[in-house]
Amino acid sequence: MTSLKTYKISFLVLTVLLVMCFFTNISLGSVYIPLKDVFNSLTGSNTSQESWNYIIINYRLPKAVTAILVGSGLGISGLLMQTLFRNPLAGPFVLGISSGASLGVATIILGSGLFGSVFAAFLMSKWSVVIAASLGSFLVLFAVLITSLKVRDTMAILIIGLMFASITASVVSVLSYFGSAEQLQQYIFWGFGSLGNLSWHELLIFSIIYSFGLIISIGSIKSLNTLLLGENYAKSLGLNIKRSRLAIIIATSLLAGTITAFAGPIAFIGLAIPHLTRQIFNTSNHKILLPAVFLFGSIIMLVCDSISQVPNSDLTLPINAITALIGAPVIIWLLVRKRKMIF
Amino acid sequence: MKKTILIVLFFITLIACKKNTKPVEISNQTVTEIPLNYAKGFSISATNQYKILTISNPWPNADKVYKYALVEDSILPKIALNRNEFDGIVTLPINKIVVTSTTHLPGLELLNAENTLVGFPGTDFISSEKIRALVDSGNIRELGKNEGINTEVLLATQPEVVVGFGIDGKNKSLETIKKSGIPVIFNGDWVESSPLAKAEWIKFFGVLFNKEQQADSIFNRIKTDYLEAIKLAKNTQTRPTILSGAMHKDIWYLPNGTSTEAQLLEDAHINYLWSDSKGIGSLSLNFETVFAKAKDADIWLSPSNYTSLESLKNGNPHHATFKAFETKNIYSFTNTTGATGGVLYFELGMTRPDLVLKDLIKICHPELLKNYDLYFFKRLE
Repeated sequence: MTSLKTYKISFLVLTVLLVMCFFTNISLGSVYIPLKDVFNSLTGSNTSQESWNYIIINYRLPKAVTAILVGSGLGISGLLMQTLFRNPLAGPFVLGISSGASLGVATIILGSGLFGSVFAAFLMSKWSVVIAASLGSFLVLFAVLITSLKVRDTMAILIIGLMFASITASVVSVLSYFGSAEQLQQYIFWGFGSLGNLSWHELLIFSIIYSFGLIISIGSIKSLNTLLLGENYAKSLGLNIKRSRLAIIIATSLLAGTITAFAGPIAFIGLAIPHLTRQIFNTSNHKILLPAVFLFGSIIMLVCDSISQVPNSDLTLPINAITALIGAPVIIWLLVRKRKMIF
Repeated sequence: MKKTILIVLFFITLIACKKNTKPVEISNQTVTEIPLNYAKGFSISATNQYKILTISNPWPNADKVYKYALVEDSILPKIALNRNEFDGIVTLPINKIVVTSTTHLPGLELLNAENTLVGFPGTDFISSEKIRALVDSGNIRELGKNEGINTEVLLATQPEVVVGFGIDGKNKSLETIKKSGIPVIFNGDWVESSPLAKAEWIKFFGVLFNKEQQADSIFNRIKTDYLEAIKLAKNTQTRPTILSGAMHKDIWYLPNGTSTEAQLLEDAHINYLWSDSKGIGSLSLNFETVFAKAKDADIWLSPSNYTSLESLKNGNPHHATFKAFETKNIYSFTNTTGATGGVLYFELGMTRPDLVLKDLIKICHPELLKNYDLYFFKRLE
């Protein structure tokens, strides 16, 4: 075990790294904007070109904040799920959150023909997709929760989550079959995930819901550490399993649900970040892991976004392609180097 | 000895029984190529007994050339065609046809052959009033979706030929139809690289319906109108700057500089800001690039499938920061639809580039074409 002092230094290094990545992310993009102008627009002074100011303040800045929320939120919810199910393969979406969200979005986009023109205006608004995704993931989660109250075994919940995911996937494929080309295109674009299309207003709502999820996660640290010992042992220590299970599931659904609603189903991050953190910090104590996952998740997401923007070229790549492309080799390398997994 | 004779006789009989599949020699027939002006994806040639329709580019980078023999039913019993030489033998005249893309419909209608249409996948997309009436009266059956045509219904309509199209030649339902003995001809109008080349595919339907001359004169009229419109636009002093496409999520999709859309803009003598870009398919750029370049563009054309200023703004708040949005100089073809919502431009735009070009000229050079009313495009409200 490394001493607390080493952790302090590590946290300090990570925090500095996060700040650096944040500013690097803002100063890089398809359009070359000199650092001086980036700084000027952040401090509210005049930039050499008016359009640069708009790009920094209304496009890059919200994108960077979104990256932090998405990276940290998915990392934390992945950690919660891996601990709850004591399964290294669990991620934020094992409870069918993303499949529920995709069902909601598919219903609204592909099934728009079913709703008639009354909903036409609503369908065209950005909120429709967000609301549909939230409702969809909430419905699936609610179903999983109800069953989880009936089921004693946590592993059974995992299977139930997977079953619900299969059900939603089949409904989505039926909807896709009847969707028009434009609708399919819209749905597939949603599936790519994106960080760069949130306005400040949407970001505010996103952050509020995210904060609730984060607070509940922090509140669950103690029970998470107890759960590591196994459910029976945790019970003998006086932990109310059902209640802490509920809290953990609610925290995950708030975090992963809003992220999926606003940014689409971002793959890989939620599964990989907790492993990366455990391997580097060499601990399974959630007091250390949770803030570390927060920092790592944010840093990795900012780096992935910077890469996906392919600085100074007109090209952009879908964020989902980058996260796994960059992340998977890192995890493989870490596991091979350490020869065993810390879990 | 007897045995030997018997065996020899037996073999002689065997040989004699073998079906003679050797085609009738057609070497004394001269094959004349019927010249085309622009289209490169198909060619028509004729012998004095039948016509040959060759499709060399049914989809991008196709590695196979498809040959079809078009034979009059009065001549068919008199000649022996080598079936292996052709991908399909079509008997003329065609009384029943199935086409699979709305872009095939104007060809039928302009040649007064719409009554031969017996089935279509996705009848709701049809805009043409004449053909819509045939759908409503039950003469044209709904065949489902192009990628999964309801084969049973199609076979029930008993078409003599199916005009299909393929993105890459892998269409299971079209394969099934082919196996049932109905010739499937791939139409590659959409692969052509210029507006007039796409329009020339009316001659493809001309040869199918024995209306080559009619198809010729229709195409020549379209061509003349198109070239005259180019001349007219060339004389203008101003070249307004153009932005096109719109954002899906945070990616902006717009036509590249070599696309047919960009050629039309060039022919209308307007300054498309991405006219120097190259490549296949559409450009996918991020918001920054488009904003920095086109923030002050004069006119915004075809903002994806958005149908109103409000939906454009709701789709992405960044859309509203462009000058063209503030001045409401946005034009789209999405609001010109048939009775059941099919977009007219997708149906007729390929066959009538002259109308598309005139629309663009009318929008960007309002001082010209005073008596012309927009055909496809409408200003977004």
